[in-house]
Amino acid sequence: MTPLTLTLRTRPAQEVDIGLLTPDGLQAMGRPAIEQIKLTCGNRSLRLHELFEVQGEDTSVIHIRRACDKLYGIGMAMSFGSISVQGRAGDDVGRNMRGGTIAVRGSAGHGTGRGMRGGYIEVQANTGDFLGGAEAGALEGMSEGVIIVSGDAGARVGDRMRRGIIYVRGNSGDYCGSRMKGGTILVLGQSGCYPGIGMRRGTIVFARKPAEISATFNSCGVLKMEFLRLLFRQLSNSYRKLALLRNIGPEAERFSGDLALGGKGELLVLHSAL
Amino acid sequence: MNINGVYIEDTFAEAFPMKATRLIITAMTLKSAYRAANSLTGFASSVIACGCEADIECDLDPADTPDGRPGIAVIIFAMSVKQLADQVLRRVGQSVMTTATSACFAGLRCEPSIKLGSSIRFFGDGYQIAKRIDGIRYWRIPVMHGEFVCEEKTGVANAVGGGNFLVFAKTTRHALTACEQAVKAIRRVPRAVTCFPGGIVGSGSKVGSKYKFMKASTNEAYCPTLKGRVRSSLTPDVGSVLEVVVDALDQEAIRESLRTGIETVCKFGPKKGIYGISAGNYGGKLGPYHFHLREILT
Repeated sequence: MTPLTLTLRTRPAQEVDIGLLTPDGLQAMGRPAIEQIKLTCGNRSLRLHELFEVQGEDTSVIHIRRACDKLYGIGMAMSFGSISVQGRAGDDVGRNMRGGTIAVRGSAGHGTGRGMRGGYIEVQANTGDFLGGAEAGALEGMSEGVIIVSGDAGARVGDRMRRGIIYVRGNSGDYCGSRMKGGTILVLGQSGCYPGIGMRRGTIVFARKPAEISATFNSCGVLKMEFLRLLFRQLSNSYRKLALLRNIGPEAERFSGDLALGGKGELLVLHSAL
Repeated sequence: MNINGVYIEDTFAEAFPMKATRLIITAMTLKSAYRAANSLTGFASSVIACGCEADIECDLDPADTPDGRPGIAVIIFAMSVKQLADQVLRRVGQSVMTTATSACFAGLRCEPSIKLGSSIRFFGDGYQIAKRIDGIRYWRIPVMHGEFVCEEKTGVANAVGGGNFLVFAKTTRHALTACEQAVKAIRRVPRAVTCFPGGIVGSGSKVGSKYKFMKASTNEAYCPTLKGRVRSSLTPDVGSVLEVVVDALDQEAIRESLRTGIETVCKFGPKKGIYGISAGNYGGKLGPYHFHLREILT
């Protein structure tokens, strides 16, 4: 069976919710039924075939081609299979995702991996704000899984994050890891102001010292963090994209905080970048 | 049956089921890892009075350890999962965590499992941090050298304890030389360890005693000094008997260890004072695993 390939015919004028188009949502559906799925575009309803050219039949492997930022909710709540996106993806990629893989060969919008509970998301370019963050009104953000961003990420990466791993190869915006409750964030580029503000637990690793660190974080000095050796080794073994972590040493300046909220979280600024 | 002039008795080694786990101890240097492993496996020769049996399985290259540092694999055996959990907690807490720069990881990832870091974490007095990487939970306990990193749990295997063979020799020196070489060869067998000091037992026991409070006592049938006093299993030319005991994670490893060990001993032959090979056999009273020597060697 060939993968189900959805090629966007023209860029829609309004946002289109394609959260239904997941291996879970399309399971056991034939191509005719898939083509007749109703999608909401602004205040109109469209049949899927009006928006996408449909090829292939294997719904556990979905390719979305010529994607644009008007397509939101890609891979929403999916639990298995894989979705690859060629082009730009809109907001909420992998929102509430429970398993499977999403690979975006371009940029993704805001809220990528929001409320994620498992699985793997890879974005080749940049993402917007609230990467791995929480659903509106939810008390917990991402609670499992791995997100790898090869470009930059916006503000509030991992907001309210509970567990899981977020890796940003480029820069991250302000308030990275705000209100974190656990998990690990790695930023290899420059981070914006006040990372970890309001965090209770969790680890944020920076390759470069963030622009500003809140006064509620205290330095514990430069230490050899043997745990980082374990973390980097395991991640580089598991994810090819993270192979460069293998060469990063375990020396880091440790900032303990947020001391206003118990101080069980930590910012680790790699010593080699100091 | 003779191998190189050494008589192989038609008998079997009688082994018994045990519960076991493997731990991986890493440290900044192999020397430090050895210190921790030696301490952990100290006073762990027999479950009769030590609580567990334990020994070093092998050195691990940094490429084969979870944190990329030099490491040692040790295997710990006990009679029950509860007893194993108790011994692991005591020994990792007192021997591994106290060794500078050490870390401790699970060497078996299976179910059932016993607590490792999730018990030791309380030493962190509330400052400990849990970290989950790829579905495996680790505990980071702040200590004076930095952090003691310890995996949350370790798997328990249904293992085999008490695989053995006896070496009949002209003198103790002859027996010891041959047994030392045998243990050296057995150490290359994966999944198997020799828990007694140097892997060799100088005081092999039988089950029970004339004294009610003793679970085991000297095996008089193999004591050269009692040849004229009891119904001895020794011929007049035998002046010393040593026993090699092997514990392993499975029966195949016991078989391979016994075969390797016996073949090594037999290479010495009667000219170098080795006359015969037998095995500890308690008539089926001790355990369900019977390793027939002649079967293993053919």
